[in-house]
Amino acid sequence: MAALKEKRTCGQRCEDFGRFVWNSDNGTSFGRTPEKWVYISLYYAAFYVVMTGLFSLAIWTLMYTLDPYTPDYQDRLPSPGVMVWPDKYDEEHIVITYNSSDKASWSKMSSCLHNFLGQYNDTLQKDCDHNCTKGKYFMQDKFLPGTHTKESCSFSVSQLGNCSGLHDPTFGYNSDMPCVIIKMNRIINYRPSQNNTQDIQVNCTVLEGVENVKKIEYFPENALMDRSYFPYYGKLAQPDYLNPLVAVRISLTGKRSAKFQCRVVADKITYENIHDPYEGKVVFTLQNLHVPSKPSSVHHHSSAL
Amino acid sequence: MTQKDNYDMFEMDGDGKGKKSKKEKKKERLEGMKKEMDIDDHEITIEELEMRYDTSIKKGLTSSFASQVLERDGPNALRPPKGTPEYVKFARQLAGGLQCLMWVAASICFIAFGIELARGNLASFDNLYLAITLISVVVVTGCFGYYQEFKSTNIIASFKNLVPQQALVIRDGQKNQINAVDLVVGDLVEIKGGDGVPADIRIIFAQGCKVDNSSLTGESEPQSKTPECTHENPLETRNIAFFSTTCLEGVANGIVINTGDRTIIGRIASLASGVGNEKTPIAIEIEHFVDIIASLAIAFGFTFFVVAMFIGYEFLEAMIFFMAIVVAYVPEGLLATVTVCLSLTAKRLARKNCVVKNLEAVETLGSTSVICSDKTGTLTQNRMTVAHLWFDNHVHAADTTEDQSGQSFDQSSETWRALARIAGLCNRAVFRPDQEGLPVPRRLVVGDASETALLKFTELTIGNIMVYRDRFNKVVEVPFNSTNKFQLSVHELEDPMDLRYLLVMKGAPERILERCSTILIKGQELPMDEHFKESFQTAQMDLGGLGERVLGFCYVYLNEKEFPRGYNFDSDEMNFTTSDLCFAGLISMIDPPRATVPDAVMKCRTAGIRVVMVTGDHPITARAIAANVGIISEGSETVEDIAIRKRIPVEQVNKSDARACVINGGQLKDMSSEDLDEALRSHPEMVFARTSPQQKLIIVESCQRLGSIVAVTGDGVNDSPALKKADIGIAMGIAGSDAAKNAADMILLDDNFASIVTGVEQGRLIFDNLKKSIAYTLTKNIPELTPYLIYITVSVPLPLGCITILFIELATDIYPSVSLAYEKAESDIMNLKPRNPRRDRLVNEALAAYSYFQIGAIQSFAGFTDYFSAMAQEGWYPLMCVGLRAHWENVHLQDMQDSYGQEWTFGQRLYQQYTCYTVFFVSIEICQISDVLIRKTRRLSVFQQGFFRNKVLVSAIVFQLLLGNLLCYCPGMPNIFNFMPIRVQWWFVPVPYGILIFVYDEIRKLGVRRNPGSWWDKELYY
Repeated sequence: MAALKEKRTCGQRCEDFGRFVWNSDNGTSFGRTPEKWVYISLYYAAFYVVMTGLFSLAIWTLMYTLDPYTPDYQDRLPSPGVMVWPDKYDEEHIVITYNSSDKASWSKMSSCLHNFLGQYNDTLQKDCDHNCTKGKYFMQDKFLPGTHTKESCSFSVSQLGNCSGLHDPTFGYNSDMPCVIIKMNRIINYRPSQNNTQDIQVNCTVLEGVENVKKIEYFPENALMDRSYFPYYGKLAQPDYLNPLVAVRISLTGKRSAKFQCRVVADKITYENIHDPYEGKVVFTLQNLHVPSKPSSVHHHSSAL
Repeated sequence: MTQKDNYDMFEMDGDGKGKKSKKEKKKERLEGMKKEMDIDDHEITIEELEMRYDTSIKKGLTSSFASQVLERDGPNALRPPKGTPEYVKFARQLAGGLQCLMWVAASICFIAFGIELARGNLASFDNLYLAITLISVVVVTGCFGYYQEFKSTNIIASFKNLVPQQALVIRDGQKNQINAVDLVVGDLVEIKGGDGVPADIRIIFAQGCKVDNSSLTGESEPQSKTPECTHENPLETRNIAFFSTTCLEGVANGIVINTGDRTIIGRIASLASGVGNEKTPIAIEIEHFVDIIASLAIAFGFTFFVVAMFIGYEFLEAMIFFMAIVVAYVPEGLLATVTVCLSLTAKRLARKNCVVKNLEAVETLGSTSVICSDKTGTLTQNRMTVAHLWFDNHVHAADTTEDQSGQSFDQSSETWRALARIAGLCNRAVFRPDQEGLPVPRRLVVGDASETALLKFTELTIGNIMVYRDRFNKVVEVPFNSTNKFQLSVHELEDPMDLRYLLVMKGAPERILERCSTILIKGQELPMDEHFKESFQTAQMDLGGLGERVLGFCYVYLNEKEFPRGYNFDSDEMNFTTSDLCFAGLISMIDPPRATVPDAVMKCRTAGIRVVMVTGDHPITARAIAANVGIISEGSETVEDIAIRKRIPVEQVNKSDARACVINGGQLKDMSSEDLDEALRSHPEMVFARTSPQQKLIIVESCQRLGSIVAVTGDGVNDSPALKKADIGIAMGIAGSDAAKNAADMILLDDNFASIVTGVEQGRLIFDNLKKSIAYTLTKNIPELTPYLIYITVSVPLPLGCITILFIELATDIYPSVSLAYEKAESDIMNLKPRNPRRDRLVNEALAAYSYFQIGAIQSFAGFTDYFSAMAQEGWYPLMCVGLRAHWENVHLQDMQDSYGQEWTFGQRLYQQYTCYTVFFVSIEICQISDVLIRKTRRLSVFQQGFFRNKVLVSAIVFQLLLGNLLCYCPGMPNIFNFMPIRVQWWFVPVPYGILIFVYDEIRKLGVRRNPGSWWDKELYY
């Protein structure tokens, strides 16, 4: 025991380790002879092959039981999230800051929106609106014959009116009237309201800096997300589905900075979850860094137009 | 000879040079200690002594000078061994092997947290939590361990004798009773029978003074003290009485020559405190285990660091991965498990009257391969008792058991009555008053050991000896002295009509025989002829050979005419008949072994533990007791025995033929340490007699050098250095001195040597069970680590979070791992050899590999199956998960699409991630239930061991499940501890894997049982 208790010096430890790596007395390396190493490696190889096989079998069984159209559970998606574009963040919060007098600055915003709206290009979408009845949930119990898909109502950019980018490719970012676009996340088989009568509407309120907001306009009219876009039937059933959007044009004034909360209002959409700030609503700050003297602002504005 | 292998002492090879110099230093220290003992106060004349200490043998010191000296030298008390300060004791609790591992891990966590913070990653507080948890685990278990030790220290402290010793001192010519603490060098003190000797004293006047030195040397025979210097060695000379010994009878005056720590006993006590504490075997095992863990952790961490760099992570990120992996390897729960398991055993031992001072010492007895036992008070009762009688030409055995439960001899003979009368009358010992309630053997007696033995013996056989003595009025008495070697007294007879006087005499047998002309046989006075003389000689030799002290007894009725009533007997002149007496018989006495000892020694032998006797007593007595209790087994011979049997010189005897060996202190002094090692190696049955405290220490060191784990049992101050040096020191609770108790690691509250056997059994059991607990605890490290590895390499969303891991480690799995401590032994552990500390490790490679790479791997597969199920069923297909990490963890991405096209905010994804944590947690729990079942046994089938025999384990499983459910389904859990209420079916996904673990392990055990020594056994048995 005494020898075990002696504090070994570093040299002795290294020597011991050296002997462990290669012991010439009994021809062992790392505690085993090469032959023994082969055996143990084979054993472990076999063990892991079998285990991987069992694991693959388990995953295969799992995949076999899954329905490709709808997920088994949607426990974590009780209510859809809402997001605003341009999706510009500072550290934690959405802060859409631009300088209307600096082209490099505002074109970032407008190109972001162009990007975002790219998929909504009217020409890309098939015309399949014949079954879409505005104001009613588009319930489809059966798949379309042949393609085994379901129809989706098209959403064209033109519905966003002044914020469609069709007339004003800057989306107002070269002025004090920028557009932001609100999108609600899609969830399979989700209907935002109990019945067919209540509207699904976007409602933006100013949280801070009311005095800096002159006007809030919504596109389409009444800030509606039409019920015919719901429910969503999944990627496989509705490969062409596009979320309905609502554009909000905000007229800034004064210090040209304000904080907004845009909510999608419907009775089944919750928005007060403190752990998920994007559930049913989105909060963002809009700020135009350019605060000009009055005449130059007018001049600038008119020249841009 | 075949048994010799049992004592094979795991020799160690190679003595380093560094070691030797250390040894030399130790030698020097011991030599120094011996030199210090060279005092000459016993050799100088009284006048020189008076000069030296400025004192007077008539008047003593002056009070004023005494107080000056007291101020200079300090009080006359043993300084309590530098009690380790409480904070150091506590700090020690925080500095074990596992604790160090956790400290390192905690600091790594802090560093990682610092790096993350510096990089602006404010969201990740996991590392901070982890560091805080690690530290609190260490501190909490430290407090627990400290509390345990504190409790047992309290039990021990309560045994201390708190009554201050008094001393009769003469100062300024006045006799004063003062506290012994206030004595100073030069004081003139008076001691009498029954007093403790208050300091080291040079005797200047003595009358029939006898001192019991057993607390110092272990000799049970009282030493007489006289003013003459009889030996140059202060320990042997008659004119010095030592502190802490007791004066049995007589009176003496003396000058104090040493006080407090400068007394001989003080030096021995300080020798004990100078001996370093040895690391316990379990501490060494844990360090070895920490080495394994640390090297595995670093190897793993480094591999994945390289992999991460290769995949294209930044250096800092890869560094954080490295740290996280290293930390993930730390088994957070293990420290708590080990501490609780040890303290459970400590509690179990305490119930059997073994109190353990240091938790780790619980296991040490289990590893013990040599027990060095003191004789007096440990193996024996430390109480002279009549063992044999010789009368009517026959040897009769008396009952020596402590509770008088043994067989007695035939008491019908007339001779016996005569012998008992002599023993009862020719005896000056008396019982202390007010002890009627106590059983005779426990009563306190004033008188020397052999008189006490005779008093108790006659009290037990005749009954009420004090009244009996009163009936025979004592006329004159001649006390024992070293020249006569006899003691006699003359009594009137109880029959008032019979006017003869009765003379009774006892003494050294040959002296008694010289004075006898007749011998009493069956009540008949027969002439003492050669035949009787011869049988007397044989009897005396036989009894002496048993290590017993033999006394002869004779009597005579004095001639009525020559010595009429009123005859003036003179004890100095001895004006009466002292020859031509009638010989009655011999009575022999011994300090008999405790009743439980022979059985305990036998059990130790079956358990492969060698019991060595190390005593301060005489070789003959030591050998007799050793043979009596089985330390020297029947038929074993020493070299000397063989020499006598074969009638050849001792030198010609082949040493290896002798199983037994008795070495006395004198021989030991001339032996080099190599000789001693050789002797210990070649003779399995060893007795060391007449050993000094230093020699006890040397013997222990020699055993340790031979690779044994040594337990030392003892009670006296002289044992304390050896107790301290031993791997485990065991002191006697009742008989033990404070110094011994202080130096020991374990205390037997009932002084029962047999408790050691219980200790060995519990120690071995806890070693086996700790192995199981550790295997159980280590296994889950892999399913806790693999999620992180897969997360780094395949970039799936994190399957298992840090807080969840901590819950597994520190909440759900603690109870099951502790419950393994209640597992019964798989085989009769008391029939196995002690473990070889070099080969039978607590955690060996097989254990780590089997736990980590086989059972742990199966658990990981179970976890991932459940993880992918939960992900897929909520919308994320397994293949989609691969490479998902960057987007998944993007806090700014609020519309991430799953496999079905649904869009998820970050918050929703986070809850999904928590769901994954929870299902992974549940998988580990389910597999761990299977794991705890398989860990019940290492070799036997669980069915052989009994599924539900360990009730604690069953309740632990129930507890684990309940706690798991509470964590999953208690409201509020998701946001506090990241547990989600998961779907019930996910509890069942890992069940097949659990069954697989169970079946696989049963197959492993079957293979191990069927093919011992095979490749399978070597690779898969841990």
